[in-house]
Amino acid sequence: MKRLIMIAIAFIVAAPLFAGDVHGKVACKGVRNSADAVVYVDTIAGKSFPAPAEHVKIDQKNMQFVPHVQPVLIGTTVDFLNSDAVLHNVFSPDACADKFNLGTWPQGQIKSYTFKKFCAAALLCKVHPEMEGFVVALPTPYFAVTAADGSYTIKNVPDGAYAVNVWHPKLKAAQKSVNVAGATEASFEIAK
Amino acid sequence: MTILRSRLILFSFLLGFGLVLLNVPTASAIPAFARKYETSCQTCHVGFPKLNPFGEAFRLNGYRMPKETEDQVKIKPVSLGSDAYKRLWPRAIYPSDIPGHLPVALNVKFASVYASTLDDTGRTVTKNDFQFPQEVNLFAGGTFGDHMSYLVEVTHSERPDGGSDTEIEHAQLHLNSIWGPEHLVNVKIGKFAPDFADGFQEMWLSTNNGIDTLFSYDPVGLHGGNSLDGGGISLPANVRAIEVYGVSHHRLFYTLGITNGIGPGASGSFNAHANKDVYARVDYKLGGMGLDGDTTGVKLPPENWRERSLRVGVLGYAGDGKGFNMPFTDDTGAQVNIQDRTFTRGGLYASWIFEDLNVFAVALSGRDRLDTFAADGTRTNTASYRYNSWFVQADYVFLPPLQGSLRYENLKPGDKSVGSMRALNASLAFFAYANVKTILEYHRDLHNTKNYEVDTVLRVAF
Repeated sequence: MKRLIMIAIAFIVAAPLFAGDVHGKVACKGVRNSADAVVYVDTIAGKSFPAPAEHVKIDQKNMQFVPHVQPVLIGTTVDFLNSDAVLHNVFSPDACADKFNLGTWPQGQIKSYTFKKFCAAALLCKVHPEMEGFVVALPTPYFAVTAADGSYTIKNVPDGAYAVNVWHPKLKAAQKSVNVAGATEASFEIAK
Repeated sequence: MTILRSRLILFSFLLGFGLVLLNVPTASAIPAFARKYETSCQTCHVGFPKLNPFGEAFRLNGYRMPKETEDQVKIKPVSLGSDAYKRLWPRAIYPSDIPGHLPVALNVKFASVYASTLDDTGRTVTKNDFQFPQEVNLFAGGTFGDHMSYLVEVTHSERPDGGSDTEIEHAQLHLNSIWGPEHLVNVKIGKFAPDFADGFQEMWLSTNNGIDTLFSYDPVGLHGGNSLDGGGISLPANVRAIEVYGVSHHRLFYTLGITNGIGPGASGSFNAHANKDVYARVDYKLGGMGLDGDTTGVKLPPENWRERSLRVGVLGYAGDGKGFNMPFTDDTGAQVNIQDRTFTRGGLYASWIFEDLNVFAVALSGRDRLDTFAADGTRTNTASYRYNSWFVQADYVFLPPLQGSLRYENLKPGDKSVGSMRALNASLAFFAYANVKTILEYHRDLHNTKNYEVDTVLRVAF
């Protein structure tokens, strides 16, 4: 009996040290495929995550933002590279991104912006109105973007109970409570 | 005199029929939509161009699928502005898109026309004419962004006399769901078949879909109307107009239009004077799919042409033909001009679908106030004439590739010295493919059994 209690205590103490992947599929209804949904672990009470020193890069290539959707941790600086032989601009109409406008710059140059708040910021180019991209600034570093088939994997999520959210550029957001214990499956269905 | 007049009337009846055959109100069915959605013609058609209930909803939705989603549009459109620009309007142009493919389609029609008519001497004249091709229609149709759609049709037809005609039959731009609930307020501008008659989409199964007694009756004559070669005055098949239309509560359809009057103006304008004609129609559909495609609480069979429904409506047209002279020779041999000063049309419409059977009918009553002017411009007479016409048609799907149609028409013209004009039209359509149709059609003037026509038509749409 004494031995059993000792084992149980060891498990309780060691629990936060365990982590697993959260994986699953997001079925996106009414759009061409299930790509570009961002699945992320919402704010964890009592936990904060320092902004990474490393910048994230978004390319403007072949008149497109690449990647189309980029999740980052709040505080991350994003470098916008112009790889095209034409001028590009980057601006956002969203207040949570200070409605930034980085001006216009030629091929090979980079301009940067630091996303300081929780935000799903649309990226637009005044020179080419059809271009559209998104930076989703999130409170935790546990996030992933779905592939065309809707599959995703969030690596190394500590075991525990979390609110897992899904954001999509065109569809309604969704949330689910997920108990992570090692490899954990969580699937979603979202629509307009 | 009476016999000669009667023969002339019969001849004009056949002439009218021939004109209608050459210039039928065309359908809004085009393979450009099939390409856009990568779907068969049968999605929207009982057999092209006759629409099934879903196709009618597609048409009334401004050539969009009911509750259309992005993934239904298989050929990705070309963006003219990303969605986020909506939030920037009016500081930026509202975002839109254009089709990612060339949204055009062709319709080629070949006809073999065998006609027997009485000429003005009473002799029977028969013709057997290979009209290969009779006409080619170039269509373009599609949508711009969320709230605009368009349809264009240019028809090139070859006449039996060796000449040819090219006409813009449709050039219409729709503004869809511009106010209030979805589908409630739409605006259409351009040249098109007005929705008060375009909505008789049931008639499109047969070749002779112009329905002579409805569209081709000429109400103007010395003693009232007496012939069928005056297309455009009784009910215009095409108008240059602005039309508001919509669907409320899934089942109530309305349309209101303002259009140019009859005839071209003397000064090179499209209108004979500054006044405009107006028209309206209100329908209600009981049972079956909603007019906007709604299927809430409705159980529909998998065969998408079938349902059990009844659509009933009223329609009206008020016209002003003042200033547009139509020359006549009166009984004394003098040249006179007649103007259809004011005219009104009122009608009832019903369409009943019971599984494979579709029976539909329109009854129309018209009144024309005719002013007669002497050559010097003095008005010599004013008189009102009333005419009544109706038709009933039954279409039946024997098998999806084999469909039949039978129609009876009746017209009591304004000129009471002329008897009723009656006609029978029977046709059998066979679909070799969804886009290749042959029709065997028989049209008989019930006044004189020597007046008849047999048409064999091949239509290809691609």
